[in-house]
Amino acid sequence: MAQSTTLQSPTAPATHDAPRTGTWDGGNEPFKASYGKLMMWFFLLSDAFTFAAFLTTYGMIRHKHEVFTGEAKDFVFSTRWWPIPDHVFNAFPGMGEANVPLGFVALMTMILILSSVTMVLAVEAGQRMDKADVQKWLLWTILFGSTFLLSQAWEWSHFIHGHTEGTVMADGTVFHGANLAMNQYGPVLFADLFFFITGFHGTHVFSGVCLLVWCFIATTNGTFEKRGHYEMIEKIGLYWHFVDLVWVFVFTFFYLV
Amino acid sequence: MASHATTEHTLAPGEIAKPNTGWIWKTFFVLVGITAVEFVFVFLMHPSTLRNSIFIVLTILKAFFIVGEFMHLKHETKGLIWTILIPMSLLVWLLVALVTEGSFIGEVLQNMFK
Repeated sequence: MAQSTTLQSPTAPATHDAPRTGTWDGGNEPFKASYGKLMMWFFLLSDAFTFAAFLTTYGMIRHKHEVFTGEAKDFVFSTRWWPIPDHVFNAFPGMGEANVPLGFVALMTMILILSSVTMVLAVEAGQRMDKADVQKWLLWTILFGSTFLLSQAWEWSHFIHGHTEGTVMADGTVFHGANLAMNQYGPVLFADLFFFITGFHGTHVFSGVCLLVWCFIATTNGTFEKRGHYEMIEKIGLYWHFVDLVWVFVFTFFYLV
Repeated sequence: MASHATTEHTLAPGEIAKPNTGWIWKTFFVLVGITAVEFVFVFLMHPSTLRNSIFIVLTILKAFFIVGEFMHLKHETKGLIWTILIPMSLLVWLLVALVTEGSFIGEVLQNMFK
């Protein structure tokens, strides 16, 4: 593509036209944000629509079902009513049948919040052009992100295999765990929504970890150093915080409420 | 873009500025604190609309800190802030509308043969 005269360096002879700097002459940044960051924000907005659709669906379907009205200690799993989350998610790795309501999910939440912190630290190091610090904090973020993914794998595995006692079904057989068509915890849609919502979030975490690994390789190769800025880390950082943000909402609407 | 890091002296070539991470850890402890408060409510209160409202308020508070500080939105221009917040606030409307709709459908289904 032919070079425009407006792109010549300021040291060019004075006989040339002065660079045009009007609103529509290019080189402007709407909202004082770079193109990449603005587009990341718009992508995240659209992604937020998808997650909001999932959580709204969850809210609607949950309110469609009957509520268990008795004392929490008398609660039993039944397809009649929506399960109480701390009765479903009460196992902890390595503790067998011990009742640790929401213990593991609390740990997962902490891990993800910590990964968000190490991500901001990487962004902050990038703004100072501190390559070693960027590498260090990216590695921590990758570590926490992968740990979260492994925890989710355990959580899914436990949800699928179920509690030892299981639930007696209408035909008298005992059913353990969950699949898309049947589950021991409550209405069929409860397990379906669990798989879809946490699965979609987990896919986002996995994509995030892949992007972070790529960022780490590029940082190590000095790509950003040569480019003169670490903006890519900031863009991936926005995505990573968004994934943490979504988990905050999933945590509230799936595990707490 | 407004930056948290304000370097007082100009850096020599090759010199790396000192990290400025106080605000990051402060935000982290606020987030951990809010999550801890949520757990206190899970175990000390019976499920009720009030408890759910508390959870939702605390969740929005956490979202404010993550989006405002970690994602830096608080320090962006007003135009960008509204570009993000207005569509999101419409989603809250959708959520409230469909949850109400869900309760109504449930009521109809449960009382159909009574």
